[in-house]
Amino acid sequence: MLLQAKDVNYYYQDGESRRYILKDTNAQFDKGKFYAILGQSGSGKTTFLSLLSALDSPKSGSILFDNVDIKQLGYEKYRRNKIGIIFQSYNLIPTLTAVENVLVPMSITENEIPADRLTVAYNLLDYIGIVKSKADRYVNKLSGGEQQRVAIARALATNVELILADEPTGNLDEEMEQEIVDIFKKLAHEHNKCVIVVTHSNEIAEQADQILTLKKGLLTVHE
Amino acid sequence: MNFVKRGFLSILRRKTKVLILFAVIFILGNVISGAISIQQATGNVEESIKERIGASATLEIDHEALEELSEEEWMEIEFENLGTDLIEKIGNLSYVKYYDYTSMFWFASENLSYYQGENEEHDISFGSDYEFQFKGINYPAVSDIEEGKAKLVDGRVFNQEEIDNGATVGLISTKLAELNNVSVGDTIVFENKVMDYDTDDIDGTLIDAREVPIEVIGIFETQTLKEESEDGFDSFIDFMDIDFQNTIYTSNQVISNESRWRNQVYASVDEEYAEYYEEEEQNEYFRPIYVLNGPDDSEAFAEEVKPLLPPFYTVINAMDQYDNIAGPVESMSNLSGYVLTAAVIATVLIIGLVVLLFLRDRKHELGIYLSLGEKRARVVGQIVIEVMTVALIAITLSLFTGNLLASSVSDTLIEANQDQDQDFYYYSEFQTNLTTSDVIESYEVELSMQYVIIFYLVGLATVLVSTVIPLVYIVRLNPKKILM
Repeated sequence: MLLQAKDVNYYYQDGESRRYILKDTNAQFDKGKFYAILGQSGSGKTTFLSLLSALDSPKSGSILFDNVDIKQLGYEKYRRNKIGIIFQSYNLIPTLTAVENVLVPMSITENEIPADRLTVAYNLLDYIGIVKSKADRYVNKLSGGEQQRVAIARALATNVELILADEPTGNLDEEMEQEIVDIFKKLAHEHNKCVIVVTHSNEIAEQADQILTLKKGLLTVHE
Repeated sequence: MNFVKRGFLSILRRKTKVLILFAVIFILGNVISGAISIQQATGNVEESIKERIGASATLEIDHEALEELSEEEWMEIEFENLGTDLIEKIGNLSYVKYYDYTSMFWFASENLSYYQGENEEHDISFGSDYEFQFKGINYPAVSDIEEGKAKLVDGRVFNQEEIDNGATVGLISTKLAELNNVSVGDTIVFENKVMDYDTDDIDGTLIDAREVPIEVIGIFETQTLKEESEDGFDSFIDFMDIDFQNTIYTSNQVISNESRWRNQVYASVDEEYAEYYEEEEQNEYFRPIYVLNGPDDSEAFAEEVKPLLPPFYTVINAMDQYDNIAGPVESMSNLSGYVLTAAVIATVLIIGLVVLLFLRDRKHELGIYLSLGEKRARVVGQIVIEVMTVALIAITLSLFTGNLLASSVSDTLIEANQDQDQDFYYYSEFQTNLTTSDVIESYEVELSMQYVIIFYLVGLATVLVSTVIPLVYIVRLNPKKILM
């Protein structure tokens, strides 16, 4: 078990009352599998992913990575060394080229990265489907699908085992959506990564190894 | 692609925003630089002028206090003279380097010509009966020579024995010596005349006279009075110079002896004066001068001395003259002080706002770095590098342009102030010849190391504070909130 959510609660305090987004949530994630967290808008799926990726912290309960509470590990350090995050809106740095965007996490992580980082970055982009001529372009000169590929390459740049993606195909057309899902499946099955994707799309969820559905803050795991 | 490289890349790739930031810092930098330049220049003027004025003080009637009295109170005042005991007691205070007290007396001379100055048309002597001004002193080395107002060019100063015993020896000026072909060792005979002016004769009637032979032991050259004057004060300066050239230094004892004789003779022919003289005989008038250890002692000296003084006396410090002559420069110093304060506040606010706008665009980017696990300090560091690099270039440029600006602005301001205020000329016991023109001449806007250091510190600290405060506000949030 690579990642575990244990009795996780997340709520907004509104005076005396609490509005729960996630209530007593438990889940386990393993390497080599592609997970889909399915839910309607406002179901709490993005909040759950942000807790799994330590962009926010739970009000109670814990997230364990390799059986260690990520709070103990340090949220910043956990993000730096243990996970790769992919956002719906790509979140690339617009003043940098595609390859420079991939180089950024390499300079942040404490993981071991090969000395020739530029070659590694180009290779990663090439593997994801971005050729060198496009890799040297500023990211806002690339299409949505290409930008998301760059974001995936950036998530892989630190050689982590856990990839977390929040609605990664939300801004893409169907053809591009499938190409991205194929990449995730390949990462999970060929590269033994644990890929967790938050989506509202049943089509994507159906391709996952395991589906978790969130409804009004309650998580159901489907075997 | 570490945070330093990212910072520099960002500068190169956000040219428009960087140029806006540069322009804002450059313009405000000019204002700060100009204000610091002026402050620095006025500070230098104050230092150099105060050094030239010297740290000396005297005791005088407090005219300001007298002006506040009613007519009735005026009638009741009885001024006490400053006795030598009090003068000496004050002279022994720790602030005093040395002190002197002087008295004045006037003699005539049959065989000595009065120096009339370079301009032959002037005749400004006090009349032939009291032409030559004698300055009695108690400090053998002569405080005017010690303080650089006169320079001994031949012979020697007094010794303590001559001062104590009232030896009839004296110092005369070079001009007087040259005019009368007198040299050290010669004896000049002066006349102590007792005149009665209450007669029909407009020139007065001679009651008695006695000869006062003075042996010249030294010749001095006047130092402080201006030789050239470009303004309209030539005649005043000439008058001061002529007065000084015709001054003969001798001991207080000589003055005291001659004064007593003159009073006794006059009392013998005038009963009314005889009664007055009977009462006032012991009252000799001395003007003390205290040379202090340094300008910083002036205030403390005045504080300690004031309680010791008889009513309606006060301490006049030579430093007080600075306020009289430094008007235009002082007003500019005040103005630049206000400008500097306002500029620093405005800079913090404006740069704060500009950086805030700059960061508003960058907020999302900062969130991305944080979501990738970048340390908060490095995220702050990247933006600080960007802003400070731009600021450093803008500040370095404004250092020179602000200095040039300050120079031309202060020239204009000084000229304007000078036209309004007229040149002020101050003359006192201290005998300084410093004028407003001297102050303005000493005013120079320059690029000193101290100025450069202060400017960089003020400028960069202002930019740093304006940058770090909004940055810390942003990065303390968790990445989810920033990215939302």
